[in-house]
Amino acid sequence: MDPLVLSGLVALFTIIVLFSGVSVAIGLLIVSAGFLIVFDGTRSLELMPEILFGKLDNFALLSIPMFIIMGSSIASTRAGADLYEALERWLTRVPGGLVISNLGACALFAAMSGSSPATCAAIGKMGIPEMRKRGYPDGVAAGSIAAGGTLGILIPPSVTMIVYGIATESSIGRLFLAGVFPGLMLVGLFMVWSLYSTAKSGDRALLNTRAYTWREKFEILPRVIPFLMIIVGVLYSMYGGIATPSETAAVGALLCLLVAMVIYKLWNPRDLWVVLRDSTKESVMILFIIAAAGVFSYMLSSLFITQSIAAWIAELDVNRWWLMAAINVFLLIAGFFLPPVAVILMAAPILLPVIVTAGFDPIWFAVVLTINMEIGLISPPVGLNLYVINGIAPDIPLKTILLGSLPYVACMVLAIFLLCLFPGIATWLPDYVMGAAR
Amino acid sequence: AEELRLSHQWSNQDIRNQVAQMVADEVAAADVDLEIKIFGSQSLFKAREQYTPLSRGQLDMTVLPLSYAGGQQPAYNLTLMPGLVKNHDHAARMNESPFMAALEDKMAEDDVMVLVHGYLAGGFAGKEGCITSPSDIDGLQTRAAGKAFEQMLAGAGASIASMASSEIYNAMQTGVLDAANTSSSSFVSYRIYEQVACYTPASDVALWFMYQPMLMNKSTFEALNEDQQAALLAAAENAQAYYLAEAKKEDAASAEVFRDAGVEIAEMSQADFDAWRALAQETSYARFVEETPDGQALLDLALAVE
Amino acid sequence: MTGHHDAVASNTGNNPFLKIVAALSTVAGWVSSAMIVVAVGVTCQMIFVRFVLNQSTIWQTEMVIYLVIAATLIGLPYVQRLRGHVNVDLIPLLLPKRARFYLSILTLSMSIAIMAVMLWYGYEFWHFAWDRGWKSDTVWGVRLWIPYLSLPVGLGLLLLQLIADLVAIVLKIDQPFGLEDN
Ligand code: NA
Ligand code: NA
Repeated sequence: MDPLVLSGLVALFTIIVLFSGVSVAIGLLIVSAGFLIVFDGTRSLELMPEILFGKLDNFALLSIPMFIIMGSSIASTRAGADLYEALERWLTRVPGGLVISNLGACALFAAMSGSSPATCAAIGKMGIPEMRKRGYPDGVAAGSIAAGGTLGILIPPSVTMIVYGIATESSIGRLFLAGVFPGLMLVGLFMVWSLYSTAKSGDRALLNTRAYTWREKFEILPRVIPFLMIIVGVLYSMYGGIATPSETAAVGALLCLLVAMVIYKLWNPRDLWVVLRDSTKESVMILFIIAAAGVFSYMLSSLFITQSIAAWIAELDVNRWWLMAAINVFLLIAGFFLPPVAVILMAAPILLPVIVTAGFDPIWFAVVLTINMEIGLISPPVGLNLYVINGIAPDIPLKTILLGSLPYVACMVLAIFLLCLFPGIATWLPDYVMGAAR
Repeated sequence: AEELRLSHQWSNQDIRNQVAQMVADEVAAADVDLEIKIFGSQSLFKAREQYTPLSRGQLDMTVLPLSYAGGQQPAYNLTLMPGLVKNHDHAARMNESPFMAALEDKMAEDDVMVLVHGYLAGGFAGKEGCITSPSDIDGLQTRAAGKAFEQMLAGAGASIASMASSEIYNAMQTGVLDAANTSSSSFVSYRIYEQVACYTPASDVALWFMYQPMLMNKSTFEALNEDQQAALLAAAENAQAYYLAEAKKEDAASAEVFRDAGVEIAEMSQADFDAWRALAQETSYARFVEETPDGQALLDLALAVE
Repeated sequence: MTGHHDAVASNTGNNPFLKIVAALSTVAGWVSSAMIVVAVGVTCQMIFVRFVLNQSTIWQTEMVIYLVIAATLIGLPYVQRLRGHVNVDLIPLLLPKRARFYLSILTLSMSIAIMAVMLWYGYEFWHFAWDRGWKSDTVWGVRLWIPYLSLPVGLGLLLLQLIADLVAIVLKIDQPFGLEDN
């Protein structure tokens, strides 16, 4: 059969199977097995467990549970509240200061956590009720946290950057650095929108928040120091010659657990178990998708689909920016339905050769891809951050959360445009720290 | 047409891909109703996961460092043993020796056969200085390619850090690693020359040779008709000559790349080589004999090749 | 919205089979978490040995890889029990109650079938490595049947948990897709 027709069939069956409500990882295994039996005979079927195991046989994957433990151990403490309270005391004169504080806290927390739902939960638990209490509209309260939480995978460390690095054999250290300025830019855009919308609403209550004395402002600073220490410690370990990025994750996990236990008195075995249970749950879910997506990509390669699509796109001979636009639309749609790791693992082997041939930098593309995935995290039907918000504030209707998130989605789209116009936003820092691109 | 699948881990420009492509092209040109489909760059199987499916008939062909399967057939560890092969011509004589025949018997146990023999060489690179003799590596954090080299370098006082060859660049840049030992082609493709002060390439005497043949599942080969078998063998013979010629060029080419990047190029003297080999005898050779049934006999066969 | 609920385990009612499987999956979850913690410790030990003591690290990298693989595979049944494996439940949400019930039976049956196949070949692969005495090609040279054991164990326990989930739905002890009536 013509590989392009075959790829259409695979796409169709994948959509049908995944929409049936079966879990994403098992669904990928079902589709792979089906196509392998029909087009490759049973000898490929026999290989499935071996490939599943082999896809996990990679030291860099260690960092996924580690960066998740970092986030969830800190999230189980009052740390998130401390972070945004400190920011709030300092930003009190700014109109809409509370939203700004929450967004800033999300960005800081993202620098300690590799995952978006964890970031969302850590700040949202305190941030959303507080914003609603002070009269912010439900949409703004929920939307800003949903969007701010997505920074978890853009600002390093990032689980999805690790997965991209593994799938494309790119340097994880370089990928992490590439996310820093785009992450800050996105925080900036989110803040500008929040300021604008609060000012426009004209609600005086939001402008006059409580005034804090200088004493109160300085009093809270020591509570922020442990986080700055963790962030600096992780960065030093990663770029200062102590450990590779994958190994650094373990240092970070240990540091965060220690801070949670020593400073926040997280001694109770029951509480510690909750941290571990949540980390295990999220890690195993992600790692199983990685393994199953590995089997799926074996099937695509074995049936020569990957190679044919890449060759087909390369032959299209369209303007490279039209190509980039088409790829973005494709990623956006895929991101609506699938969790980020699944999209990255399924798309990277096909897209990477095309991207490189068209003259785009794979490190830059990782950032564009990640922002696309962030949009997917706050859009239905599979938007992990939406579920987190729903867990924190079950009484806010989904529609309100979505409408509240929409302006922030627009900010992300704008960020992608800015990255296309000024690729240096992503590539300057890694080039500066690690030498010119390879 | 009947279709054979060949998997390997290298990029399109790599000689090992060119060897595979050459066999595929010649077989196609022979018009014997046989097609070889190449899956490069680990697009089908990861590097170390090719031998098992090959031996079970789930993969037809591969181009693979045989020592990757050293955990399954300990005898294969001799194909990446320090100081056993001196230069490329010596390697070519190895391929025709009773030693190789003994290895091919081991492969036959796993239903695997060799189509194209070939060795590639490699060297050492140091972040601060040159590594030529055992004393140079003492106290350095080193990434070595292959278990026997790890044992020998540890014997010289190096500290061994294990990591994928793709991590060498970063690890050297941040200072996690002080020295590395790998193949000439990896040194170039991972751009290690940007991070080191000195490179010791393979030249007249070299320590690091790795056997990387093109292998085929034996039952699959035997199931082909006579014309197909003949076409494959003829293509393989041409490819083997090409492989040897290119392997020789690669070491000099890598030295050129390092020199152009401003890296000092060092050479290993005969005395250095002898010192390494004496060390290897106490460390890696001894461990090999210890953990391999009939290991001494195999080692003697290898050492007997002039 | 999404099929990802906050550590809400599936119901077992008073059914002894469901309770036993739930207990097995929970123990698997503890084992999985413990392995992740050990992996943190081993990695930190490795960095210490290399960076502070400047000594060789022989077994740590490999050990950590196998711990993370085993944590993943053995953690599968526990995460299934907590409904932690993400799914797209747009269609199930749109369907009427009865159709949703049959769809969940279909998807669970397909999941069970694929896991049974994976378990079968996973066991075969493990047995192959055990039978031939394979070791890893490193200085540490670990016997590969030990890490490979996580394949049949993890996949087997996941299969068991999936069967339990199917039973719970057929017996109306649990809701299809874990969705509340609405
Ligand atoms: Na992050
Ligand atoms: Na989504």
